[in-house]
Amino acid sequence: MIPTSLNAWVATPEIFLLCSACIVLLFDLFVSDARKQVTYLLTLLVLALTAVLTIQSLQQGLALSASGVSAARFAFNHMYVADPVADFAKLGMLLGVALVLIYGRSYAIDRGIFKGELFTLTLFSLLGMMVMASATNFLTLYVGLELLSLAIYALVALPRGNVRASEAAMKYFVLGALASGMLLYGLSMLYGATGSLDVYEVSARIAQAQFNPMLLTFGMVFVVTGIGFKLGAVPFHMWVPDVYEGSPTLLAQLIGSAPKLAAFVFVLRLLGEAMGQFGPLWGEMLKYIAILSLVIGNLAAIAQTNIKRMLAYSTISHMGFLLLGVMTHSEIGYAAAFFYAMTYVITAAASFGLIMLLSRNGFECENIADFKGLNKRSPWFAGMMLMVMFSMAGIPAFVGFFAKLSVLRALVDSGLTWLAVVAIVFSLIGAFYYLRVVKVMYFDEPEGELLAPAGELDAKLLLSLNCLLLLVLGVFPNQLLTSLSHAVNLTMAGSAGMMLQ
Amino acid sequence: MVTLTHYLVLGAILFSLSVFGIFMNRKNLIVMLMAIELMLLAVNMNFIAFSQFLGDTAGQIFVFFILTVAAAESAIGLAILVVLFRNLRSIAVEDLGTMKG
Amino acid sequence: MTLALFYIFAAVLVFGALRVITAKNPVHAVLWLILSFFTSACLWILLKAEFLAVSLVVIYVGAVMVLFLFVVMMLDINFEELRKGFWKFFPVAAVVAAIMMVEMVLVLTNRYAQIPGAELVEQAPTVQDLGRLIYIDYFLPFQLSAVLLLVGMIAAIGLTIRKRKNTKYQSPGEQIAVKAADRVRVLKMAADAPLEAPAAPAADAGEQKPQA
Repeated sequence: MIPTSLNAWVATPEIFLLCSACIVLLFDLFVSDARKQVTYLLTLLVLALTAVLTIQSLQQGLALSASGVSAARFAFNHMYVADPVADFAKLGMLLGVALVLIYGRSYAIDRGIFKGELFTLTLFSLLGMMVMASATNFLTLYVGLELLSLAIYALVALPRGNVRASEAAMKYFVLGALASGMLLYGLSMLYGATGSLDVYEVSARIAQAQFNPMLLTFGMVFVVTGIGFKLGAVPFHMWVPDVYEGSPTLLAQLIGSAPKLAAFVFVLRLLGEAMGQFGPLWGEMLKYIAILSLVIGNLAAIAQTNIKRMLAYSTISHMGFLLLGVMTHSEIGYAAAFFYAMTYVITAAASFGLIMLLSRNGFECENIADFKGLNKRSPWFAGMMLMVMFSMAGIPAFVGFFAKLSVLRALVDSGLTWLAVVAIVFSLIGAFYYLRVVKVMYFDEPEGELLAPAGELDAKLLLSLNCLLLLVLGVFPNQLLTSLSHAVNLTMAGSAGMMLQ
Repeated sequence: MVTLTHYLVLGAILFSLSVFGIFMNRKNLIVMLMAIELMLLAVNMNFIAFSQFLGDTAGQIFVFFILTVAAAESAIGLAILVVLFRNLRSIAVEDLGTMKG
Repeated sequence: MTLALFYIFAAVLVFGALRVITAKNPVHAVLWLILSFFTSACLWILLKAEFLAVSLVVIYVGAVMVLFLFVVMMLDINFEELRKGFWKFFPVAAVVAAIMMVEMVLVLTNRYAQIPGAELVEQAPTVQDLGRLIYIDYFLPFQLSAVLLLVGMIAAIGLTIRKRKNTKYQSPGEQIAVKAADRVRVLKMAADAPLEAPAAPAADAGEQKPQA
């Protein structure tokens, strides 16, 4: 093992986030219920400052790699690594969480969950995600994952009088705990097979054939099952639609955006780095999970009348696409999946943000029928929804198209052309239900009273920027894609270099 | 002589019993939470056995953390259960009829 | 001898676990679970992991199970209602579980598995070794698990606290600020005078009704 010491300064973003989360927790005690806006602003400030620190860490890493040194900086006795993949992922998570709070502000106020717990638990779940992104030890990965999950279970149940929310929380909790159990059982087998908990140590022992193949394969099955549960991929997807539908839209957005990035980095570290040698084996398992997710996700979404359920099934199919990128176990595949996860965070944030701005006290805008004739009520909102739906459907000039394209390219590069064809067929089927929403908005007559969309100016403005970003990234995707693939290359090269030592 | 395999088989039996328990007690949430505890117990058994037979202490450290996480997890699980119960006045999953499975 | 003990403990553990998931009454299920944890602790002692065994008893039997019992007893559960349809799932679930169990056992016991280490380590790690690892090598997860417990606390309080209008609670500030003169009033009474109505009790500054 590489000797490292505490080196705590490497983890400045997390340390800052932890300290300020505690400060927000204490500060909130002295803020009356009517003036929670102060806590809200403080939380946003914390997110912004953490982002600044993360950008600094990112620049440092890139500068190190430019000067020929490894970009990975280890801390806490090799439990933590700051490398460009982790830093990019953290920036995406910070953005995703900030968008949840900004879009959800008036929604939360209307539903009485604009409370201190909302902010502190969100910050703690973000801390869990960031730790997951930087973990290089199974133990740190596990603790980060649980920190993320436990905070979110509690957040979903936060509207206490709401039966649907508490049901969703219970369902999420039970299946999440089952998934953790599976994952842990798998990790215990990996530990038994290799005798180490360190990601690089495990990969080195596999390379030197110092492991027990039977136990490792046995453990890998459970690890892949656990990951499938957490990502909500078919056949472990039963919880996704219910949780999305039942939880407050604010939290559906939180579940559906930033944690996907954390899950991607989790998969990259656990499968890509620790068990890279076994790529063909777990790739085969992921392949079937990915195909099933594409098929079930897209077909089931067509039958939905509730837009949150539809988005849930659409998430399942997007996770299928993401796993298709990962299963190629090539750097170009990981980079494509990373790009997919990153842009999915922005797209999902915009879609849930729109639903929240269209809802108001006592009215949940969650049936597709509620969007009828939206163009007549508010052409601006209809236009933004159109952009989000086009991007999710993968129509050219939007970022969703480019994300899908890069995954397909990775598939073709790995000689899996037939898989690329399957993926294209099912995204075409998927385009149907996204375009149905567009049709309902533009060509159907509005039913009932004409409600103009509500929402504060800041949320509206940011939402417009967000949707515009989908278009801008769709036209000029190369900057982001090159940076992300550079980061992935650095990380994979780093772990290969670690193995040689 | 008790070998590593003995403990691993015991862990496997406990693990599948707990999965069985989770699926059998779909209506009885509190027993479901107990089945989850059993599952973590099976994992702990594996970790300790591996750790002691391989002569590596890290596995035992992992058990400490699983115990801690499980304590926090059951606290949150029971809190959600209490909230749900106050809303439903019963903790049978069958009453969760508002959502399709 | 060790083998015999192992089989006894393992049998009790499996039986206890089986009773947990099939018990009629959740209170019984909790008690069976306590038995299971206790037997596991015994097995861990066979594995020379004494400190973990002690921690298991302290944390689980002492704290977590009490929490479970508390919730089971606090919630007014209709046990009969919960039992209905239990056996409906039984055949399918039992077959699936049996297949899973047999498969896992076959994988672990087959001779190609080459599971190493028939010998237990001579020198089991002491509490000192564990402590050194946790506080030095595993410092980051250790700190994070503290955050995790904090999250558990915030969540449990945030979800279940109920402010009742008529609850009496103590106000420490006022309790500290109280003076002797507020509590005790010395009345001068003639020893032989006829008994008067008792004086009104002094204002109990300690217990205040909350401001509605």
